[in-house]
Amino acid sequence: MSIKKFVVGLYDDEAPLFDAVKQIRKEGFKIHDVYTPYPVHGMDKALGLRETSLHTAGFIYGMTGTTIALSFMSWVFTTNWPLNIGGKPHFPLPSLIPITFEFTVMCAAVGMVLTFCYLCKFAPFVRKHHFHERATDDKFVVVIECTSDSTEADATATLAKLGAAEINTQIAESEWWFGTYDKEEKKYTEQDLVKAAH
Amino acid sequence: MATYSNTFEQSAGNKKWGTILTGIGILTLLAGIGLLGFSGDEHSKTRFWAGLLQNSVYFLLVVNAAMFFLCATTLGFAGFTISFRRVAEAISTLVPVFGVLALVVLLAIVFTDQTHIYHWMDTVTRENDKIILGKSGFLSKPFFVIWTIVAVGGWTIFGAKMRKISREADDTAMDTETAKKWLFKNSVHASLFIVCFGLTVASTIPWFWLMSIDAHWYSTMYSWYVFASTFVAGMALIALYIIYLKNQGHLPFTTKEHLHDIGKFMFAFSIFWTYLWFSQFMLIWYANIPEETEYFRIRMHGEYRGLFWLNLILNFVTPFLLLMKANAKRNYTIVTFAAVVIIFGHWLDFYLMVAPSTMKAHGSIGWFEIGVAIGYVGLIILLVGRGLSKSPLVPMHHPLLKESIIHHT
Amino acid sequence: MSVIKYESAVRGPLIDGTKDYHQITEDILKPIETTPSKLWKIGFTIAVLLLIFGVYSVYREVTYGIGEWNINKTIGWGWDITNFVWWVGIGHAGTLISAILLLFRQGWRTGVNRAAEAMTIFAVICAGQFPIFHMGRVWMAFFVMPYPNTRGPLWVNFTSPLLWDVFAISTYFTVSLLFWYSGLLPDFATIRDRAKIKWRKRFYGVAAFGWTGSTKHWQRFESLSLVLAGLSTPLVLSVHTIVSFDFATSVIPGWHTTIFPPYFVAGAVFSGFAMVQSLMIITRKVLNLQEYITMEHIEVMNKVIVLTGSIVGIAYITELFMAWYSQNPYEGYAFYYSRANLFSPYGWSYWGMMACNVISPQIFWFRKLRRNLTVTFFMSVLINVGMWFERFVIIVTSLYRDYLPSSWSYYYSPSTWEIGFYLGTFGLFFTCFFLFAKWFPVIAIAEVKSILKKSGNKYKNEELRHELENDSIEEFTKKFSHH
Repeated sequence: MSIKKFVVGLYDDEAPLFDAVKQIRKEGFKIHDVYTPYPVHGMDKALGLRETSLHTAGFIYGMTGTTIALSFMSWVFTTNWPLNIGGKPHFPLPSLIPITFEFTVMCAAVGMVLTFCYLCKFAPFVRKHHFHERATDDKFVVVIECTSDSTEADATATLAKLGAAEINTQIAESEWWFGTYDKEEKKYTEQDLVKAAH
Repeated sequence: MATYSNTFEQSAGNKKWGTILTGIGILTLLAGIGLLGFSGDEHSKTRFWAGLLQNSVYFLLVVNAAMFFLCATTLGFAGFTISFRRVAEAISTLVPVFGVLALVVLLAIVFTDQTHIYHWMDTVTRENDKIILGKSGFLSKPFFVIWTIVAVGGWTIFGAKMRKISREADDTAMDTETAKKWLFKNSVHASLFIVCFGLTVASTIPWFWLMSIDAHWYSTMYSWYVFASTFVAGMALIALYIIYLKNQGHLPFTTKEHLHDIGKFMFAFSIFWTYLWFSQFMLIWYANIPEETEYFRIRMHGEYRGLFWLNLILNFVTPFLLLMKANAKRNYTIVTFAAVVIIFGHWLDFYLMVAPSTMKAHGSIGWFEIGVAIGYVGLIILLVGRGLSKSPLVPMHHPLLKESIIHHT
Repeated sequence: MSVIKYESAVRGPLIDGTKDYHQITEDILKPIETTPSKLWKIGFTIAVLLLIFGVYSVYREVTYGIGEWNINKTIGWGWDITNFVWWVGIGHAGTLISAILLLFRQGWRTGVNRAAEAMTIFAVICAGQFPIFHMGRVWMAFFVMPYPNTRGPLWVNFTSPLLWDVFAISTYFTVSLLFWYSGLLPDFATIRDRAKIKWRKRFYGVAAFGWTGSTKHWQRFESLSLVLAGLSTPLVLSVHTIVSFDFATSVIPGWHTTIFPPYFVAGAVFSGFAMVQSLMIITRKVLNLQEYITMEHIEVMNKVIVLTGSIVGIAYITELFMAWYSQNPYEGYAFYYSRANLFSPYGWSYWGMMACNVISPQIFWFRKLRRNLTVTFFMSVLINVGMWFERFVIIVTSLYRDYLPSSWSYYYSPSTWEIGFYLGTFGLFFTCFFLFAKWFPVIAIAEVKSILKKSGNKYKNEELRHELENDSIEEFTKKFSHH
């Protein structure tokens, strides 16, 4: 749980976003995140995020699946219960390929989705703070975190300079918690507020 | 933007290497005629024709795959190909040349009765073999010759038409309405080529040229398998030329993004080829009907065992591992290496289609097969270079060129 | 990172009207946020009634045994296997549209992918019913899973194509579901954040898994969809390939042929697109989404139909040719007596298949007909009838005169409860689809937004776009190199 203070800038269009992000980073602010209604290409690079390694994880899951399927089936056919099926060899590799392939895909896909959910902290009943409710509709939201180096006033001024249509300050829980969106759940106390302000 | 030239001039080095390699090919051919073709030894004679058949058919279908790629992407209204489509066009200019070479080889095989190649031409067999006799309506010399000429002629004519239309985008700008009409004209001719391609490469031609070598054997998948094989090799050839031209400072609008997509094609169709290979093999292996398994028995056991597995390693494992990562498809060195492996690998695949059935236990890849292949490589270098220099490298007024410029993977 | 979005003016817009981001959200979510129309209620009721009839048919079959299906000789399987393969085939277009077209970056897929994926999932569920209930003692269905048991342990036969089917279809179903659902997360979040009603906020809040639209999440999301697409593409091929292996690994004339795998795949894509056409033509009208599923979408899908129809045509003719070329008397009998001979007992089904699948789709070579809604709808239904006949031809004409003359039969017909079961799967399919159309965003909102500025009608007509269109190549390149 970490309660922090954020300055939130709202943009109506993705066009000024790249320049704004570039400038904000240049001036030394810490961008908490940028929220967009659809994947804006190149935004991850503009924010300096590293490439995701999700696909590598997928490859590893897939290879695990291949190994499990092949070794299990060959164990069954050669060691555990060898059977003569249609006069074929006891290790009938060609007819093991389809299941090996399917199991590979199954492992890779399921593993990747679970990893994706784990990394992004996605699950049913997971709740996260929303800086603007239209960030999933048509607004582009830049969130600057206030730190000891960057004050609220500076961040607000910079966002104003960079053409944000709407600017406000929010004190919020930056992590996720369990809950549902139909209830307002306060995740911070007066003390936290004071702490965050410093 | 740096200055660039929209025209390609065949460099002295390009011409020199082309000539040297073609020369090696011609020398091999002459030596082959002397040592093998007119030899009294049946094995040598068969090897001569088998080597020529394998090379001439393979390289013809590979360069023809470039035109197939163009027509397919034209029908799909693809934008990303425009910045390098002249490369594919230049490769396809080889179709008439290689077509004539293949025609000469095929007609020579037919008219000089090389029955070790096409067993079904043997008159004694025809009379005594009930099955061959039954097929004689299809496996007949006149039909074979006529259909071969029709096919090569069709690819040449429709391909030339496509290239001719493409030239109209060189000089004058088109407004939107004209551009739409022009693209429509493109797609009409592309579909003509595709229909012709479907009736030849994707069905009849591989039956005639390659499958009829094993006159008793049959596989409905065969033609699609041959198509997949040559299409991958064709994409690899396009990739090689893009990289060559980029290194020469040409093709300003073709970036790593485009190479990435070509790499995807090479990767995906290598897997597709493997899929067809596996399906054909597995079904025949599984059902275990002697008439069918004969084809694989001779390839999997004995002389060709090593090549049989090498074929899978070169054409599946290598491109799969090399091109799997996104960055690998954007790397000149890796793509070049993969392309060379693929082109050689599918050449080997064709060797395995031709040699085991004709040469039986006496086949080997030796000076003759490799020499002829080198000659073909030389011809490709010479003639693609010439083809590239004949027209501007980028059709500057193609209505979809701008899409190709901003293409982003 | 191109901020200026460009697409050639020769391409028609993929989003008509003057939409902006917000309008897209409004339009697509409208059915979810309003009460369903009368038409929806009527359709839903019919679907549920069919489903109930199907459930009763299944009840009969489970209670009295598979004798209810007249399965006392091989040909008796014909109807159920035909239906199984037919449904599986339909279940292919969805993942194909999503996966392959995502890899090819086809903008038009955004209009139809969500519904097509949903259709895939429902069709696979329907398909699964046939082998499951065909087992007879359906409560023993878990026997197909390889689990340690006290019978030896005796494992399932991993070399049997029927077991490959179990793995293929369950994998396909799982992966399609994951692909579909992960794509739905951002759209559920959109509904959640707009919701004014409490239960809707709660329900979609739970379903959205806590999606916020964070850039890091989008990055992972895109990586995930790309890899899932990359996995699904060979998966789509493999599933129908394995279904074709059920037939092709055998030695039955007309079944054992090497072209089956790719030809089944082409056929499946063909029938899947036809089903998408049938559904989308109605859906766009009922839900008022004509501006998102435009004539461009329909035309392009008709192109895929004529392409795959022609591929299937080449396969049919290849098979027919090889039956003769092989000089195998059994193959010859299967093809030239049982199938291609119009006057043999089932010759009509072969020619029905040819007419529906190969000959009639050729009309889509003409642009006018590709863009005609009535023709398209009629053709899409015809193609699905034809594809049903294709499976019927393959299964019935090869089995009704197989090697064992005691199993020969002229007069094969399904029993009432078999028909009821088939109708029941229609009920199941449409019940699911109606529920989907009401509670789910039928079009992928986030994806449509991502092509809006490139392919939206409003933006294609902007001054900036005209400028780009008229720029010389040098000017154009200069503009882009700045970004």
